[in-house]
Amino acid sequence: MASAVGSGLSRAEAFSLLRSLLRTAAKFSDYNIREYVRRRTIDGFRENRGLTDPSAIASAFSEGRSQLEIAKRQAVVYSIYAPQVKNIMELNAS
Amino acid sequence: MAAGWRSAILRQLRVPVRPALAPAMERRSWIGAVRWSGIRFLSSGDDHLDKQEIIDRVLSVVRSYPGVESSKVTPDCHFQKDLGLDSLDVVEIVMALEEEFKLEIPDKEADKIDSCGIAVEYISSHPMAS
Repeated sequence: MASAVGSGLSRAEAFSLLRSLLRTAAKFSDYNIREYVRRRTIDGFRENRGLTDPSAIASAFSEGRSQLEIAKRQAVVYSIYAPQVKNIMELNAS
Repeated sequence: MAAGWRSAILRQLRVPVRPALAPAMERRSWIGAVRWSGIRFLSSGDDHLDKQEIIDRVLSVVRSYPGVESSKVTPDCHFQKDLGLDSLDVVEIVMALEEEFKLEIPDKEADKIDSCGIAVEYISSHPMAS
């Protein structure tokens, strides 16, 4: 990501994609899925940090964008059947 | 004769029984009117958070990030230089701050936040921070 140059994809775009994914993760009502999306995006971005090949970077970006679309749709679908009770992990430790 | 006089006098003296509620309600509304009539508590100036509270909350968010040494966190520490975090961690911390203060920071502003001091300044100048 630090050396993502060419085909118009820049560091700023990578950050913007990361932020969109994290924000979409925050919209999930289910604790487990929310945490998974966060973990997976961070791991995915970290794993693809050192890419230099422009085509590899472009494919990583397109994969990230498609995952973002999936996550957005699923956030809406899951919110229809939101759990009634808060997950125990979300309750503040008293 | 005396009985007739007595009942006539008593009839005059007898006080008609009023329902017990009315006087009590009258009294309550009178008290309410006196208390609330002239005084209005409009305090829109207290919406902004106290600066120290912002600093405390920002530092606690930074401290609870995995991999951050608690001792190095100061009110003006730089995320990447002092705490040894990378750019991904910085984005995550900014997201955590967004959640803590219920803000939505646009990308352009979020890119500039790279130290605790700047984060505190941004949040304290944001009108929607809570």
